[in-house]
Amino acid sequence: MNELIQELKLEIINVLNLEDVTPADINDDAPLFGDGLGLDSIDALELIVLMEKNYGIKLADPAQGREIFKSIRIMAEYIQSNRTK
Amino acid sequence: MIIWAGDNIISALGLTSEANYKAVKAGTSGIALHNATSIAEPFQASLINREQLDDTFNQHFHSHTNTYTTLEKAAILSAHTAATTANIDISSPDALFILSTTKGNIHLLDTPDQTYDPRKLHLWHTAQLIAKHFNNTNEPITISNACISGLCAQITAIRELSDGRYTTAVVIGIDLLSRFIISGFQSLKALSPKPCQPFDDNRSGLNLGEAAATIIYRKTTQPPNTHITLVNGSITNDANHISGPSRTAEGSYAALTNILQQTNHNNIAFINAHGTATPYNDRMEAIAITRAKLNNTPVNSLKGNFGHTLGAAGILESIISTHALTDNTILPTHNFTRGENEYPLNIPTKTQHSTEPYCIKMMSGFGGCNAALLFKKNTHNGTIH
Amino acid sequence: MELYINQYSYISPKHTHPTVTTAGEGLTPLYRAIGIDYPKFFKMDNLAKLGFLAAELLLQQNKRNLNTRKDIATICFNRSSSLDTDRLYQTTINPENNYPSPSLFVYTLPNILTAEIAIRNKFTGETSTYITPSLNPETIVRTVRQTLNNTNGNTAITGWTEYADDTHEAFMMLINKQHNSNTTTPFTPEQVNKLIIHLRKQTNNK
Repeated sequence: MNELIQELKLEIINVLNLEDVTPADINDDAPLFGDGLGLDSIDALELIVLMEKNYGIKLADPAQGREIFKSIRIMAEYIQSNRTK
Repeated sequence: MIIWAGDNIISALGLTSEANYKAVKAGTSGIALHNATSIAEPFQASLINREQLDDTFNQHFHSHTNTYTTLEKAAILSAHTAATTANIDISSPDALFILSTTKGNIHLLDTPDQTYDPRKLHLWHTAQLIAKHFNNTNEPITISNACISGLCAQITAIRELSDGRYTTAVVIGIDLLSRFIISGFQSLKALSPKPCQPFDDNRSGLNLGEAAATIIYRKTTQPPNTHITLVNGSITNDANHISGPSRTAEGSYAALTNILQQTNHNNIAFINAHGTATPYNDRMEAIAITRAKLNNTPVNSLKGNFGHTLGAAGILESIISTHALTDNTILPTHNFTRGENEYPLNIPTKTQHSTEPYCIKMMSGFGGCNAALLFKKNTHNGTIH
Repeated sequence: MELYINQYSYISPKHTHPTVTTAGEGLTPLYRAIGIDYPKFFKMDNLAKLGFLAAELLLQQNKRNLNTRKDIATICFNRSSSLDTDRLYQTTINPENNYPSPSLFVYTLPNILTAEIAIRNKFTGETSTYITPSLNPETIVRTVRQTLNNTNGNTAITGWTEYADDTHEAFMMLINKQHNSNTTTPFTPEQVNKLIIHLRKQTNNK
C-alpha cells in the first residue's frame, strides 16, 4: 500500500503539474481537494483519466470521484481493490 | 442607422433561416444518437446533412467543389444565401467579413495523410478564404472567444460600422463536429447521454451541434417598415475560473445590467439564454437573471433543438430569436418539463404570443467570458413603448 | 478620445529579462526570475504562460495604481490561435492510446489566455481574442479604441501573444485614457509600429 501511495503521489504531481510540490508535501490522509494543493474541478477530471489510463478503472459517474479523491490513502485503497491493470 | 439586413442558418433542421425557424416553432429537434467507430461512446448531436450540403453547394458553385473543406463550404453557402436573400452585394469594398469560430478546420489534425495546405488550420486563413470567394479584398476579422464568439462578432460588427469604414458587415459563425471536439467534451464529462433538457431539474449535460449561420448588418438611411436593430451589447469576464462559471453569476449579471440601463423590463418579450443544459451553466444563468430582476420575464433555450453549436451558436440563436420577435412569438424550450425550485424562472412550455419590442440574447463560455445583446423590433409607427 | 501607451513589455526567445532567456529552457526560468508565487502558472499551456508572464512584466510597476479593476479590458491578438496545444491534445486521442486530456482540451481555446490574465488581476471588463495573420498595429489600435469607446472602461491590456512551432513572441501594452507621469506616448499605429520595430531590432542585436 505504501508503495502505491508513493507511486500515486509522483503521478499526481506529474499529471497535475504541481511543479513546486514534493511527495513529502502531500499528507497521506489530508483532503486532496480544498485548500491544501489548490486542486480544482479540471484536476478531478484529470485524476479520473489517470485512474483509467494507469489502473484500468473506469468511473461510471464522475461524481464518485468526490468520495475516492478524499485523500491519497483512500484513493490508493480504491485503486488496490478495483484495479484491472 | 445600423439595421439587421439579412440572415441565414444551415443546420440539421434546414438550409435557410425560414426552414430552421419553422422547424423550431413546430417543436422539431435535430438531435439524434450517433455512433462513430473512432469515438469512445455514442453521442447525441445535431449534425448538418453532408450530402445535402454538398449537393446544394455544387448547384451554386460547381467549379470550386474540390478546393474547399466542408466547413468552408458551409460558411460560404450560408453567407451566399444570406446575401442573395437580402439582395446585398457582399463583394463590395464597403463590406467587411467577420468570422466567429472556436476551432475552424481542426478536424484536419486528425487526417493521417496530412496533405492539406497547412494554412487551413489557421482561423484567419478560413476567414480570408471565405471573403476571397466573394471577391472581397478587405482584411476580415476573426474572433475566437469560446462559446460567446457569435455575440462578440456582432458587437464588433456594430462597432466597425459605427466607425464608418464600412457600410456592410457579414457576420458568419461556424463550427463543425469532429473527434477532436467530441472527445474533448466527453473528457470534461459535459455531454448528456440523452437529448439535453435545458433548465430542467433533471438536466444531465449538453449535446453538441453543427451549424453555419450568417447575419448581415447594414448602415442605411431608409430602413424597411419593420426591422431589427442591435441596441446594446456587453462582454464581461468573471475573473474567477478558466472553465467553471461564477457561483454568483458575477459576469453574466454585469452583462445583463450593462445592456438594460435604459430599458423597461416590461418591454422585454423574452430572454434567449445560453441554456446548455449542464447543471452549472443553467444554474449560473438562473442566478444572473434573478439578480437582474428578470425572473418574471419569459426565458428559453434553443439547445434542445440545435445542440450547442459553439462558434455558430451566438449567430444562430440570435437569428431564431429575432425571427420570433418579429413573429410576435415566444418559443418554448424543447424537452423542458419542470424547473429547479431554488431559482425559479418563467420558462414557457408552449409557444406564447407577445408584442413587446425587445429580446435579450445571453451567453457564457469557457474562460469565464459572458456576453449579452439587446435586440429591438422597430415598426413603421415608430417604436412601441 | 486620446489614448496613451503607459507601459509595455516584450518577450521573445532572445530577449526577455536582464538575466534569463526563454530560449530552450521554456518559460519557467522567466517565471522564477520575476519572483512571483502563483502555482497555477504551471498548469497553463504555453500560450497562456507566455501571455500571463507578459502581463506580469507589464503590470509589475502599475499594480498599485490599477484601483478600479472592474472595467479593465483584456484584448489579445495572435496568428496561430491555440494550435500548439491543439497538437498536444491531438496526441491524447491517438486511437492506440486514447485518453483525452480534459486539462489540455480546455486550453485548446485561445481566449483562455485572456481569462488567466483576468483571473490573476481581477479584471472583469471585456476579454476578447482576435486571430490575425500577423501583428498589425493598425488593427490593434482600432480594436482597442473601439472597445474603450463603447464601454465604460478607461484602461486596456492589449497586445500580441503568439506561441507556435517552438518560437514565441509577446508584446503587451497598458493603454489608458490618461497618460501617466513617465510616458506620453500616444496610442497610434505609428507609435506601436515604431515600438515593435525597436523591440525586435534590440533582440536581433543581442
